[in-house]
Amino acid sequence: MVKNVVISGSDAIAEAVKLCKPKVCPMYPITPSTLVPEKISEFINDGVLEAEMINVESEHSAASALFGAYAIGVRAFTASASNGIALMHEILPIISASRFPAVMSVANRTISGPINIWNDHSDAMSERDQGWIQMYCESSQEAFDTIIMAYKIAEKENVSLPIMVCIDGFSLSHVYEPVQIEDQKKVDAFLPKYNPKNILDIKNPKTFGPIAFPNSFFEFHEQEQLAMKEALKEIPLAHTEFASMFGRKYGNGLIELIEMKDAEYALIANGTSVGTTRVVVEELRKEGKKVGLIKLKTFRPFPKEEIINSCKNLKAVGIIDRHVSLGSEGAITLDVKAALKDEKVRVEGFISGLGGRDIDKTRIKKAFEILEKGGKGIWLK
Amino acid sequence: MVIMGINEEELFASGHRACAGCGEALALRHILKAAGRKTIVAQATGCMEVVSTPYPETSWEIPFVHCAFENAAAVASGIRAALNMNGDKETNVIAMGGDGAMFDIGFGALSGAVERGHKILYIVTDNEAYMNCLALDALIMTKDGLKKITEINVGDEVYAFGQKTNELVLKKCIGVFDNGKKRVFEINTNSNTIKATGNHPFLVLQRNGKQGQNNFVWKMVEELKKGDEIVSLKKGLEGKSFNFSKIDLSKIGDYKVNKINEVNLPQNSSPELMKLLGIYVGDGWTRINKAEVGFALPKNVKGRKEAKQLIENLLWSHCLSENENELHINSINVAKFFDSLGFGKGAKNKIIPQWVFTLPLKEKESFIEGLMLSDGYKIGKSNRYTSASHELLRTLRLLLQTMGVRVGKIHKQTKKEGTLVVKRTLLKESTYGYVCFSSKQGALLKYASQNKQRNYLFGNEHFETKKIISIEKKGIEPTLDLRVEGEHNFIANGIVVHNTGIQRSGATFPYASTTTSPAGKIISGKQQPKKPLPFIIAAHGVEYVATASITNLIDLKNKVEKALKINGPSFLHVLVPCIPGWKIDPSNTINVAKKALDSWVSPIYEIEKGTLKLNQKPVQIPVEEYLMMQGRFKHVTPDITKKIQTYVNDRKKFLEENDGKKIFDVLY
Repeated sequence: MVKNVVISGSDAIAEAVKLCKPKVCPMYPITPSTLVPEKISEFINDGVLEAEMINVESEHSAASALFGAYAIGVRAFTASASNGIALMHEILPIISASRFPAVMSVANRTISGPINIWNDHSDAMSERDQGWIQMYCESSQEAFDTIIMAYKIAEKENVSLPIMVCIDGFSLSHVYEPVQIEDQKKVDAFLPKYNPKNILDIKNPKTFGPIAFPNSFFEFHEQEQLAMKEALKEIPLAHTEFASMFGRKYGNGLIELIEMKDAEYALIANGTSVGTTRVVVEELRKEGKKVGLIKLKTFRPFPKEEIINSCKNLKAVGIIDRHVSLGSEGAITLDVKAALKDEKVRVEGFISGLGGRDIDKTRIKKAFEILEKGGKGIWLK
Repeated sequence: MVIMGINEEELFASGHRACAGCGEALALRHILKAAGRKTIVAQATGCMEVVSTPYPETSWEIPFVHCAFENAAAVASGIRAALNMNGDKETNVIAMGGDGAMFDIGFGALSGAVERGHKILYIVTDNEAYMNCLALDALIMTKDGLKKITEINVGDEVYAFGQKTNELVLKKCIGVFDNGKKRVFEINTNSNTIKATGNHPFLVLQRNGKQGQNNFVWKMVEELKKGDEIVSLKKGLEGKSFNFSKIDLSKIGDYKVNKINEVNLPQNSSPELMKLLGIYVGDGWTRINKAEVGFALPKNVKGRKEAKQLIENLLWSHCLSENENELHINSINVAKFFDSLGFGKGAKNKIIPQWVFTLPLKEKESFIEGLMLSDGYKIGKSNRYTSASHELLRTLRLLLQTMGVRVGKIHKQTKKEGTLVVKRTLLKESTYGYVCFSSKQGALLKYASQNKQRNYLFGNEHFETKKIISIEKKGIEPTLDLRVEGEHNFIANGIVVHNTGIQRSGATFPYASTTTSPAGKIISGKQQPKKPLPFIIAAHGVEYVATASITNLIDLKNKVEKALKINGPSFLHVLVPCIPGWKIDPSNTINVAKKALDSWVSPIYEIEKGTLKLNQKPVQIPVEEYLMMQGRFKHVTPDITKKIQTYVNDRKKFLEENDGKKIFDVLY
């Protein structure tokens, strides 16, 4: 039965997870992700989700138990944020290299120090090279939908990679919005049972996690890279299927274009700053300015072709990065610059919203203004 | 079939790469026999995971998973939870790790998992260390020339193979370790010979077929086979003329000193001096009491004219005297100078000293020319040098390798009295050796592509690959190992070898020497007691905690079976002697484990529902008997032995006093 409710982004995630029916949920609370494990443990203890909650003693063990559950071949889920993700760091690439299609929600919060509980993307962005697909969300509904899509994409045999579903800490995780909660049968129809081929089974013993010497390690990594390429194909396919079934779409699942047809200047944004930028674009359009917005829904794998096609005819494109690779630039900026290296379009990176600083309309307008005037990217403090 | 209750079925397949005599492999094998096929093992990163699962091979006949260093217990939690959800309560789950994975880095995960009460058996195979090594006669390429491994000090710069660039690089030695007496193997290529323990790693070329890229892998001696191509030194870096340090010269007016001692001694080595020294090594002698350097060069010999010319060029002709068979330089100071150069005395003790290895190529070549003038001859394009000194041949062979010369193995022959050996008739039966060598330039350049096929490093100025022609088991010898910064390899007897390590853990026995708790001048090994992990786990409220020994396999089996029946967490500690880490002989694993048990260093007991029960109460032997079997306690003084004895006695007393008592009462 479809329900329309007003819930937080975190609850939306928990509701979606419940519909995906994971069997094992090893979780460790950390602000602002805590609402997710709280809600899920409620579901489990009320008997509405048939799963085992493992109250691990650290995020490191959460990731490890997630790994263990997938080794047995059951669907599993965890959630974390900030330093929790940093503590998981060691295990994340092992999960992806083991090709376990795990799903984790991340309530993006900056990494200490100094300690700060508010939103930016430094936790997820710091894990960009670890073989996890990363999908960002703009609304609670999108968070709900993305979780369901994430299991579908991750479990495609040619992908078999873990996915982080990222929602901005507080500005989405704790914001109450109307969400349409889908019917279990419909979700079951979209997301079939998880039946992996390679599992730990006493009837057919296999060894997982062997040591790969230099003669094979390279090939393991190469296969992950190929799987990322496959994901670039599979994400739009799964998204189309989702859209036709549930009637909601987010661009093509990789990027969404807003007012880009005749745009001369555009910003690329991800997460909740997309919403603010939508409003700014609308306002500037009313003033007659040819501006547009590219919402980067999927950051890994990086949708290079989509970025080239949507940016090549622009005069300038700016990126709102909520993370900076210290000593260099924003992570998205670097990728966009690399993608557009053969195009004439000017690329400027804007670092914004670090440690929970608001990205408001004024700052977005400032970015557009700089682009139009031919200025350089700045830190939008 | 079941013998004494122990299943004959092997679930830990042979062919794994553990050291001969490995206590951990032995423990594992018997743990699996007791656990049976309905078992899933999650193991932490460590020795056992490396030796048992080199992709695509595995020794595990049951489902096995390895994830990372410190999380076996957490991975096992996930496994148990998933099995529970699948309705499988039967399958055994064992989380296994070494002392690092359970006592230290993985302690948090272990404590967390135990506290959550999953039905998992946690096993720590506690080996307290790891490491491997080279025999004492290994000669190491250093910045200051060739040195015996025994002469290397921390801080010395040694040559290493730069694994990224395949170049020759200089690196600092950051550790020298005495590894005690061990069984060694002798590995021979056409031009190198080296002795090393079975687990010492060598750099081996791995050919990946016509399509694939070839690459280098580290292989342990035990994995090496005849025909394997190992990386070895071809040519060293260009050296510098050697500066002779001041020697205590006799002054004018001293006893027996006359005018002819007013000679100029060279400050630095030169091609001319080196050539004369080459002749000297073969045909010369020094008699300081006679103020004489002599050369046995009869008139008909080609070398005589050459030597005279060299002596003249060195401005010593005013000291020269000659007769039918000999040339003499009559000078106390020249004699003292020659004597100080380190070429050894007597035909059988001749050697090429380390400073010769640091010379420029030109001077080395002159030295070889000199050698050839005395005891060498040509057969076709090949040069052959004969000597009664094995050390001379060995060092010559290595010197030639630093010069980019192709050199063969050392041949030995015994010649009867009266045989003509290099222009001389033997006065009695003698054993001689010889090496053959030739310049390798021309032909190789001509067939470069073919040679590239044969020698992967063809074109590399300093290194080449050489085929192993034999590997022989040798006796038990004292061994040493080096640790080198950055590249972690060094060049021993012309072959690139890996260095190794041994690090302290919370489980390391007090006063044991490790690379992170070395036996130093002031601090003598590990200063802390062993972390009492079984008690800490029991204090979590775990129903069954036990310690076991590989000397009592029936007891080990019973404990595994008992632990797996517990409907919750259980914990088993097994002390497993480590051959390289403990510096013991592979044949002594069980003996050492037995001493650990009999000395009460590692007693076996159970803590069942909080009640302690000693399973074996042996008549106590002195702890010294346990310590003296192991190289890691070699530095231990009688004082420290006393302290260790007290430590052991205190623990024994505690166990005996509490035997049969509920020591964790509150929890049950």
